Amino acid sequence: MKTLPYEKLNETIFFNQLDNGLKVFILPKPGFKKTFATFSTNYGSVDNHFQVEGKEKVKVPDGIAHFLEHKMFEEPSGDVFSQFSSQGASANAFTSFDRTVYLFSATEQIDNNIETLLNFVQNPYFTAESVEKEKGIIGQEINMYRDNPDWRCYFGLIDAMYHTHPVHIDIAGTIESISRITKEQLLECYYTFYHPSNMNLFIVGGVEPEHIMQVITQNQNSKKYEKQGDIERYFDNEPASVKEAKKITILPVSLPKCLFGFKESELETEPTGLLQRECEMKILMDILFGSSSGIYQKLYDEKLITDQFSHEYNGQYDYAFSIIGGETRDPKTLLKRVREEIEHVMNQGINVVDFERSRKKKIGSFLRMLNSPESIASEFTRYQFKNIDMFDILKTYENIKLEKINNRLQAHFDWDKMSVSIVQSEESK
Amino acid sequence: MSKPLFERTKVNQIRLHVLPTKRFKTYAISVYLGSPLSESTVTPFGLIPFVLRRGSMKYPDTKQFREKLDDMYGAGFGFDVVKRGDHQIIKFQMDVINDHFVNEKESLLKQSMQFLGSTITNPYIENDAFSKTYVSAEKNTVQKRIEGLINDKIRYAAERCIQEMCKNEPYRLYALGQISDLQKITSSTLYEEYKRWLRDAVIDIYVVGDTSLNEVQSLIEQYFPIHNKQQTEYEAKERYINSSQKQIKSVVEELDVTQGKLNMGLRANVTYSDTEYPTALMYNGILGSFPHSKLFVNVREKESLAYYSSSRFEGHKGIITIHSGIEINNYDKAVEIIKKQIDDLRNGVINDIELTHTKAMISNQLQEIQDSAFEMIGFDFNNILSGKERTSEELIQEINEVNVQAISAFAEKVDLETIYFLRDKKGES
Repeated sequence: MKTLPYEKLNETIFFNQLDNGLKVFILPKPGFKKTFATFSTNYGSVDNHFQVEGKEKVKVPDGIAHFLEHKMFEEPSGDVFSQFSSQGASANAFTSFDRTVYLFSATEQIDNNIETLLNFVQNPYFTAESVEKEKGIIGQEINMYRDNPDWRCYFGLIDAMYHTHPVHIDIAGTIESISRITKEQLLECYYTFYHPSNMNLFIVGGVEPEHIMQVITQNQNSKKYEKQGDIERYFDNEPASVKEAKKITILPVSLPKCLFGFKESELETEPTGLLQRECEMKILMDILFGSSSGIYQKLYDEKLITDQFSHEYNGQYDYAFSIIGGETRDPKTLLKRVREEIEHVMNQGINVVDFERSRKKKIGSFLRMLNSPESIASEFTRYQFKNIDMFDILKTYENIKLEKINNRLQAHFDWDKMSVSIVQSEESK
Repeated sequence: MSKPLFERTKVNQIRLHVLPTKRFKTYAISVYLGSPLSESTVTPFGLIPFVLRRGSMKYPDTKQFREKLDDMYGAGFGFDVVKRGDHQIIKFQMDVINDHFVNEKESLLKQSMQFLGSTITNPYIENDAFSKTYVSAEKNTVQKRIEGLINDKIRYAAERCIQEMCKNEPYRLYALGQISDLQKITSSTLYEEYKRWLRDAVIDIYVVGDTSLNEVQSLIEQYFPIHNKQQTEYEAKERYINSSQKQIKSVVEELDVTQGKLNMGLRANVTYSDTEYPTALMYNGILGSFPHSKLFVNVREKESLAYYSSSRFEGHKGIITIHSGIEINNYDKAVEIIKKQIDDLRNGVINDIELTHTKAMISNQLQEIQDSAFEMIGFDFNNILSGKERTSEELIQEINEVNVQAISAFAEKVDLETIYFLRDKKGES
């Protein structure tokens, strides 16, 4: 077992990669009552076309990673929620574009709960009949999101930006695509992506690391895994342009929702570059659109935005884009004003005072995040799958130069690479 | 087991609660200002924090105000306006890095108390009134927010169900008030309301972090100069027992939706300060707050009728609400199954698993509170608000003593009063 100390932050991570390939990370938080564990696979909604070394290429229906997540909770003994409940743990799971995460939090019976987590995720059990039944539940989940204007606006924007990359497909799929999912396909995805070498386990809380590592190692050594070759993921060639400049969705809303974003065509290929770009973009977006920015205050005073106005940046090796916006009385004027304001900053450049303030804010928000075991586990794992050490964020922020931010400003806001997604009521069309 | 012990004192009739601990990387600060929920004041009081967050005499300009927060390493600052029983509570919150982790000349705790104190007690005033610009902009923001309730159908249905159920009680009021009253407010009337609010509200200030009662006390003396305060404690609640109403009220509303929202309102007639409170928590847990609960198991897992189906207990008001999203055609079937669960609880149809799992889960939730500064504050404030002192350990103890007889005796007094259904417009109506 290795220890990775982060002295400045008063944190130490204990790490081990087991014989079957599983990576285990333990972060002790002395004095904490709760233990929080995530068991994650590097497998999400975008992984719909793949091949394991020495096997056939496979293409699967949209929404299958999420469907599999639902079905994993079924066990021969019934529902695994019930077992967690009996051990006082609350369990859950989620699927995103690039990972599926199973988790629990508990204050007691930690060893048992860790074993339950490992055992249920490593034991696929479902029948053709139960797969059919799940389609009803997931169908209701899909319908719930269909009625949610924020969700529709957000995914509408990604859909407008991407022609072929599966990031534009709804994570849960559609009623039609899930109707085609079979038990056999679920098992095929399971055996490909739930191999321990494609997964990691993160434990944070008031635990004793040596003991926990031993519990996990014993559990894993009792199960047999053949070595698995590399997984190749296929993505069709994605054009640099956006698919649609504007997408309008009709839903009953009190005010139109308007999100816009810029699609990046020059992507990072290695971890340091990816983290560097992400930190630069986060500072840049905060300087431009944060609640203390000049643009935010002006647009707010012009009643073009509300206090729900927000921004984010998503950067991966195979896609990267920004998302900006919120509610507005007038999407057209908002977009025109934003463009004027951004162009104004592009002409002036960003000043050092705003840059330093934003950098300080980002460092503070990283430190505050470390209070929350849930956030640590989730973020650490997310970065792990990109081969990034989450704790490098601090020194990356500390070392960023203003010049880099100004370069990002010029490179990111390419008006030809912008899409807009609007959700509005029938009457305001 | 170590109890979180708040040290308490009073300054200028403000109650002060401090928990010295080194466990977190931040100082957590909450200020609660509570007033009776009433039709004439709910709207102006709800608007006050929106105007206060625009600027103080120290930082009159909103941009300066927000920049100051950024300069404190991006201190978290927020406020919330909520209903707790028949009170309207306005809460301000700050979350700021412990100086130990950063190089700051002046203590961040001191800077934060000064910031919060000036925000709440020394707002930006011109000609003996709030700024016209700020009031007009924030009236617009609140109006958009009230109108925006309809965008999130889950919340909208929940709010509508409460409105129908509590038609003749203050609790029907939305925490932010009503648009018709908002329009009448001017910058000078609001300033008068503000002075009344500050004088009459019950004020509780909480600090959790690496500090002491003495330190915080002297900061409050310095930065919260509120004089001539009247009210210093919450008045005993009024009870609204609606036992005369034996007929269930059914309300159907039509909107352009894909999924139907089925909500129910039940009167528990037991609140936080009652000895039966732990029994009410157990009832709600078995009915619908966990994945092993009757609603999840029967409505979702057995019948595939819904993606979500759960219940919530408002402990200060003494009502239980049920929430579910269903296929519109399944209305009758879902109502029947949910009613069956309520009847089963009344008839004592509660198995061992439901009982023990619910106890384990509630006790886990209560223990986890101690890992989060703001959750500890929230839990303690529940005690303060209800006038009933009960530590989480005591509550766990009481939960463990609840048996099936007690639950079904309690269930006997629970009345289903309201069924609310939000559906599409295609119905026969």
